[in-house]
Amino acid sequence: MTSPGDVTPVKPPPSFSPGSGRNASKLRYPEEQEPTVSIDAELVESRSVSSPSPSIPASTAELPIRSASPQARSIRSSTPQLARSSFGSPFEGRFDGSEDIRSLIIRAFSPTVAVYASEDTDDLVRNKGFKGGFWDLLRPFGETVTGKVIIRDSVGASRAWEDFGVRFVDLKTLGRAPTGQDPGRDSPLAQIEQVLEKQLGASDGSSGTQVPAKDILGFSATTPPSKLFLRQLLCSTAASPHETFGHPVASVIAISSRNKAPLETLRRLYAETNTGEQRLPDWIHQEYLRYYVLVHDEERDDITETTKLYDQMKRHFGLHCHLLRLRSSQCVVTDDDSMQVPHCEWLSPKEHLLGVGETETLVDLGTDGTSHIFDSDVSAIKSFVRELIVQSIIPYMENRVAVWNDQVAARRRGISGRFMSLSKRWAGFSSSSRSGASGSSGGNGGNYDTEHNFYRQETPEAILRKMADFAFMLRDWKLASSTYEMIRSDYGNDKAWKYHAGAHEMCAVSMLLNPLAMSAKLKLESVDQMFETACYSYLTRCSDATHALRCLALAVELLKSRGGSATESAARWAMRVMDFGLVGSVGQILFMERVAACYASKTPVGGAKWGARRRKAGMWSLLAADQWLQAGRPTLASACLEEAERLYADVLEVDGVFPLPEMQSFVDNLRRAVTSDYLQARGFTAQDEPASGEAGGTEEFSEKLDKRKHRRSLMGLPSQLDAGNLISGGPRDPDDQPNDDFERA
Amino acid sequence: MSYYFTILSPTDTPVFNIAFGTSKSGGDGIARFRFPDTAQYMNQFIIHSSLDIVEEAQWTNGAMYLKHVDTYPPAAAYISAFLTPSGVRFLLLHQPPQLSNSGGSSGFGASSILGSSSNLARGSTSSIAANPTSPQTEEAVRQFMTEVYENYVKTAMSPFYKQGAEIRSPVFRTRVTAAGKKWL
Repeated sequence: MTSPGDVTPVKPPPSFSPGSGRNASKLRYPEEQEPTVSIDAELVESRSVSSPSPSIPASTAELPIRSASPQARSIRSSTPQLARSSFGSPFEGRFDGSEDIRSLIIRAFSPTVAVYASEDTDDLVRNKGFKGGFWDLLRPFGETVTGKVIIRDSVGASRAWEDFGVRFVDLKTLGRAPTGQDPGRDSPLAQIEQVLEKQLGASDGSSGTQVPAKDILGFSATTPPSKLFLRQLLCSTAASPHETFGHPVASVIAISSRNKAPLETLRRLYAETNTGEQRLPDWIHQEYLRYYVLVHDEERDDITETTKLYDQMKRHFGLHCHLLRLRSSQCVVTDDDSMQVPHCEWLSPKEHLLGVGETETLVDLGTDGTSHIFDSDVSAIKSFVRELIVQSIIPYMENRVAVWNDQVAARRRGISGRFMSLSKRWAGFSSSSRSGASGSSGGNGGNYDTEHNFYRQETPEAILRKMADFAFMLRDWKLASSTYEMIRSDYGNDKAWKYHAGAHEMCAVSMLLNPLAMSAKLKLESVDQMFETACYSYLTRCSDATHALRCLALAVELLKSRGGSATESAARWAMRVMDFGLVGSVGQILFMERVAACYASKTPVGGAKWGARRRKAGMWSLLAADQWLQAGRPTLASACLEEAERLYADVLEVDGVFPLPEMQSFVDNLRRAVTSDYLQARGFTAQDEPASGEAGGTEEFSEKLDKRKHRRSLMGLPSQLDAGNLISGGPRDPDDQPNDDFERA
Repeated sequence: MSYYFTILSPTDTPVFNIAFGTSKSGGDGIARFRFPDTAQYMNQFIIHSSLDIVEEAQWTNGAMYLKHVDTYPPAAAYISAFLTPSGVRFLLLHQPPQLSNSGGSSGFGASSILGSSSNLARGSTSSIAANPTSPQTEEAVRQFMTEVYENYVKTAMSPFYKQGAEIRSPVFRTRVTAAGKKWL
């Protein structure tokens, strides 16, 4: 038997590499490579490719841009302890791929900040070209705060985070979306599927010759489709009673310097959010931070007047005020200090569907579709957001957590609290047995409102959930998980199934996110059990497929990032997602890829050969390739096939030759089909391909990888494309290498 | 229950293959796998992928019969393994029949894969056809494996058999079939 060490360097992945090429397939799961280097290389290459060709839709171009900070993040970020903590893994690099996923998951649960601006402010901003008003302008800047944010946890230890952010939402739409939504046709899951289709359509490029090399390079640590899927899934859940992540932590109330009666307007806006027509639904805690913003129009108004007004504001409304100086005219590309508006990372599937379409039409018209903004405005907004978060939101949240912890949680945790909940349970039994005939509609005397299916905001259950969510958003996972653990049984007793599911889900998630729980012998079974309960409650008791899928997807990703035996658990959860039929056809294939990735990330124990799951990973990769092919996506299929061959390389005696005959024939057929489909999709039948391949410094990367293939097969007989030739390509490769150099020299 | 039995040489080459169905409780002995006819290669894929687990289990389990080692949840396929001294592995894939209410089996029937292992037993609990992880099934598979092993040893000792080559002996095949009929 050969050991992996002497196989991998010698053995290139077998012959067939039409699109993805060797580099791409190695980039896909960089666990074995030097991860920072690969990300770096990918960045450089994708930049150099994407910048000169504006025809790449924004959604694909967004991917490399937002991974622009992984290096900074991996130094000090969501998972700082993970690399340090020892759980028998000599491969530290393995975690860098999942680091990004963890950061993504953590950032998905950011505090929500509602924005409520006066008419004149919205008008001012609309003049600048932001159709959605003030909220639209702020939104992209809330997602990442410049610089570190220091958060103190419940025991008083401070930690700095680089990737903290908030989610700005429009107060007018908050909490009202579920009512107007048609649950059947455009459920979030169906929309996610559509977004994926669109994204893949954009990257797979049926247009043939115009396929950007980027879509292949885009396969970084995790394939962007699966990452896109996860991100879409995480932001597709609307604000709901059973969890408070979508509820506003604060609200920004904005007026502009154009306003005739500024203080009165501010009071009116406040009153509207509190009691008026903009009052949030009853299940949202009404006590949230109000932050007052005065938008100063740099071009029309006098700064001295505004400063005077601002001082007045501070006197009336306290410290949570900010003066934001913006220019009111619209910025165009040709302006001196113009810069592109950053892309929003957390677009819900619905917005994605609308937004992507919008940019595409603009691309056709020749503009690049993104709006621009003055540099000075950007820095003003950035400093405003930073001040808002660092000086107001975080202290406010820390304060609330401390207060609730003292007043509600401590009482619940204490001996009397336990006794009370116990006695309540007993009382519940007796009362329900007494009123059994009357249908026991009122539950068992708990605080749960069975008619509207929520806890009222001032009940201890609701407050504890809010406190746990706050702690979670502040990344104090220890406190969060202990609080979830405390309340999850209460929800079960009250038969508040959605709360019950949510508490179990978040308890497991926060346990998995807590990097210190690792040393404390995290019990995988209990985590599995919690996910099981959550999933059952979501699906069977509440028939809430979106949340169930989110729960399972989180389980898969977080367990995978734990490594070790947790990866097998992760793979099992991924299989269950497929089993439940929660995802559409594209989602199914993505989860197949995830299963493969889970198994692939399980490394052998010590230096021994056993303990890895290469065969399993390879099998799932092959199945995914088969499915991609059937879905008409040969590019992705060939990437999966490459991946499978790389995985199988370690376990097969002879490269590309399977011992079992039926497997062999299946793989051969698959290879052949992928090759022919791939070439067809690339318009290979059109004879102008090799000519266009010669030009273009921008396409250098793709030329290196696959144009050579085309050229060679054109020179040879077309019938040489059969599988036998491709499989036995191993010994041919050395011939090809000098050939290639010769041609390029 | 449908079975797919493979003997793999130490280099993972198949030495012997046979697919058969249960003969217990009125079975006709014909394999009916859940895969469509075009996807019968899945059996080999599943067997091959379970070698990962077998390789791990052979160092932690002292017995020759490793019991149920692996599961392929999407098709509810279970793998049992048996080791011989020469490094040859006997792998048996067994797959319970598709339940009549297919909706149930695609839904929570599969939850036995994680945690609670008693879920698939809700059919006829005592028959080995319904419950691949029950002690009865383990015992039946062990008996089957032992009997096949005895026959395999005799076949391998034959002067006309070259070590590692495919077993073409019809006698061996009928004996394996008989063992399958007897125990499974």
